[in-house]
Amino acid sequence: MPTSALKKNRNIDEIKSVVSLGKKHGSSIKEKNSNCKCAVVKSENFSFYYGSKAGVKDITMEIYPCSVTAIIGPSGCGKSTFLRSINRINDLIPHTRIEGRLLVNGHNVYDKNTNLVNLRQQVGMVFQKPNPFPKSIFDNVAYGPRLQGVKSRSKLQQVVENSLKAAALWDEGKDDLKKSALALSGGQQQRLCIARALATRPNILLMDEPCSALDPIATGKIEDLIDKLQNDYTIVIVTHNMQQAARVSKRTAFLCLGELIEYDSTVKIFRNPGKKQTEDYVTGRFG
Amino acid sequence: MRPIIRRITDKAFTILTGTSAVLLMSVLLIVLGPMVWQGAKAVIFKDTVEFRKMQLDLYNRGNSASLEVENSKAESFRKIVYETIDKFKHGIDTEELIDRSKQVYRQFRKELRYKGITGEEYQKIRSLAKELRDRLQTAFESNDKKTIKENIDYVLQYRSDKDFADTVAVEFFTLAEDFQKSIENIDLNKRQQYTSSLQQVEEIIFRLLGPRPGEPLPALTMERYGATRWDLAQKLLDKLLWSEQWIQKEAGQPLVKIRASRAEQFAGTKLESLFGYAENNLAKMLKPKFTFYWQYFIDDSTPGHYFGGVRPEVLGTLLLTLLAMLFVFPLGVISAAYLVECASDNIAIRIIRMCINTLAGVPSIVFGLFGLAFFVLFFIPLFGGPSKPCILAASMTLAVLTLPVMIRASEEAIRSVPQTYKEASLGLGASRFRTFVKVTLPAALPGILTGVILSLSRVAGETAPILFTGAVALGPLPKSLFDPTRTLSYGSYDIAVGDRLAMMVPHNQYGIVVTLVLLIICLNAIAVVFRARMFRRLKGH
Repeated sequence: MPTSALKKNRNIDEIKSVVSLGKKHGSSIKEKNSNCKCAVVKSENFSFYYGSKAGVKDITMEIYPCSVTAIIGPSGCGKSTFLRSINRINDLIPHTRIEGRLLVNGHNVYDKNTNLVNLRQQVGMVFQKPNPFPKSIFDNVAYGPRLQGVKSRSKLQQVVENSLKAAALWDEGKDDLKKSALALSGGQQQRLCIARALATRPNILLMDEPCSALDPIATGKIEDLIDKLQNDYTIVIVTHNMQQAARVSKRTAFLCLGELIEYDSTVKIFRNPGKKQTEDYVTGRFG
Repeated sequence: MRPIIRRITDKAFTILTGTSAVLLMSVLLIVLGPMVWQGAKAVIFKDTVEFRKMQLDLYNRGNSASLEVENSKAESFRKIVYETIDKFKHGIDTEELIDRSKQVYRQFRKELRYKGITGEEYQKIRSLAKELRDRLQTAFESNDKKTIKENIDYVLQYRSDKDFADTVAVEFFTLAEDFQKSIENIDLNKRQQYTSSLQQVEEIIFRLLGPRPGEPLPALTMERYGATRWDLAQKLLDKLLWSEQWIQKEAGQPLVKIRASRAEQFAGTKLESLFGYAENNLAKMLKPKFTFYWQYFIDDSTPGHYFGGVRPEVLGTLLLTLLAMLFVFPLGVISAAYLVECASDNIAIRIIRMCINTLAGVPSIVFGLFGLAFFVLFFIPLFGGPSKPCILAASMTLAVLTLPVMIRASEEAIRSVPQTYKEASLGLGASRFRTFVKVTLPAALPGILTGVILSLSRVAGETAPILFTGAVALGPLPKSLFDPTRTLSYGSYDIAVGDRLAMMVPHNQYGIVVTLVLLIICLNAIAVVFRARMFRRLKGH
């Protein structure tokens, strides 16, 4: 696999530079340094219904900070539904209803007085298909900071530069920030979307099959990026690609038919799963 | 299916679609071709010296010195026409002669008093003058040559009377002599008939050549000049040469129209020569010349579109259209945004949707009456405005008329913005309003512009909605939103229903329609270019 070759080339110094770059993320770095294990995202008997049909049922799990958590499972098992519940982007769909609790940093996101704007700034999201706005690269990345009221051009410039560097797009895009985002390649677009999500300074990054529309080389770049980012962000990634889950994540959750079958460290899930169903799935006998 | 059959059906389908496309285009050409051909005559035509005079007077265009030369040449040919008419008229228009003789009598009386003649002498001379006047009158009114001769002779015997010498009364004798000469070869019984026919001839000559030199200018601008266009002049010449008469050939049959030669009508009189002369020398009297009158689009017009261009109409149409767009654009977009983004699918929303769809099919005259009842009589007065037709009311009515089109196009455009854009924006913490304004609306704008194009064409061409709400046929450009305006659509309607004008200015009617079509094409082209640029930007090229 070309990706593994790329992985080997990972430069420790580069990661360090990214970490030192993110002064704004000082708090999360501190948390990691102090070995804080408190769950950033915690789901307690959480169920999500589309009308009468359950998307996910009775999920109880904790997602640890500053690490990558993968959610795997066959199509229609509710991976995306669960992921999209975390920043309530599922609200766009009419006639839905939830049960149980879903906590982000200790606050129930489905609480009546949750500030959606704050929540979504805290929980960034990267979608399956690259979806940059039909604007320039600069405007795409600056969209989030502008929402937060940043007006000064120099500050925006700084944020855009930092975000693009963090998303490993700076070297390719710095010459032409005015260029339309739609003129970029698929992989570049996806990295731009990641940069855009990072620009709002989130704590958590949700990734909904971020590589499914990309070729292996672009996938490799994104995976490298995820690897770098996990030092600063809590990352939840939904993927169909089990190798990818094995490569990038610390912990893996296996969902089937809306239920959480198993949630453990990635090594355990792929080497020594506790349940027959999981073993069938990861070895390819099922799904 | 066998490959050969498949090939044949494919070919047949190509041919079918191709043929229908060609058919459509030819239909379009058949419809537009004659109209453009006729409309072009408003711009490219043979003008006359009258046209050049009018251009110099009204718009200060052209060379006055060379026009003067041309005019004097034309006038030398016209003089003969006037002289012929005057000679003939003398024996025909007896009322004028009678009036003149009465006038002379009154002036003579005054003159006598001024000279200080009083008493019996005054009475004597006065009664003699009265006698002469009455005799002349009898002669003028009589149809019998013998009576006329007796009376004229009676008058003329006092020619050398010393009482009348060197006074105004001398005119009695010139009147009598002229009259005697002019009736020499006239059938006096036909005099009545001549009089009415002569009136027609004079009217046509007036419209052909304008007022006679030296006469005071008429008050109406359109009467100050003769035929300004050669085609119109030829039509008038035809009317001059041929009179139309309605006669009944057989009892019980409907009347039929026949063309009778005027030269024959006046056969044997002094006027007979006029017709041949006019026919042969019309070009010399009017000096036709080809002209490209591009100023048609920017010239003011005289009342009734008799001369000039369509500037007030073009500006009025533009103003009305843009104003209507100003109302309909935000209203349409906001309504569409509500229907797509906010409204849930319940019975009330379904009824609203149904109403919008129904409104799109309502006849425009209904909107016109609605505009009159609502905007003119109720809405604008409610805010202290005047309760009269004005551009504000008209543009609001047009906005209501085209609102359904706008809403539907905008709805379609907003709906077709990818959900992923909205998700991305919301995922970054934007509110729904912000997402709509910053992401959805810019992405939907090209589609919304399609709605604008559709509305624009409809609004610019509508007549019925502005009929009662703000269009006028005459009048200056509006100075405020509360003034009515002229528009191209209403202008063409007005010419079409104003029967007299429609005959005289057919080129103008087509010219207005072609201008309207050109204007709509221009507006659409601007919108299309705008939309294409927007598309390109969205696509990132």
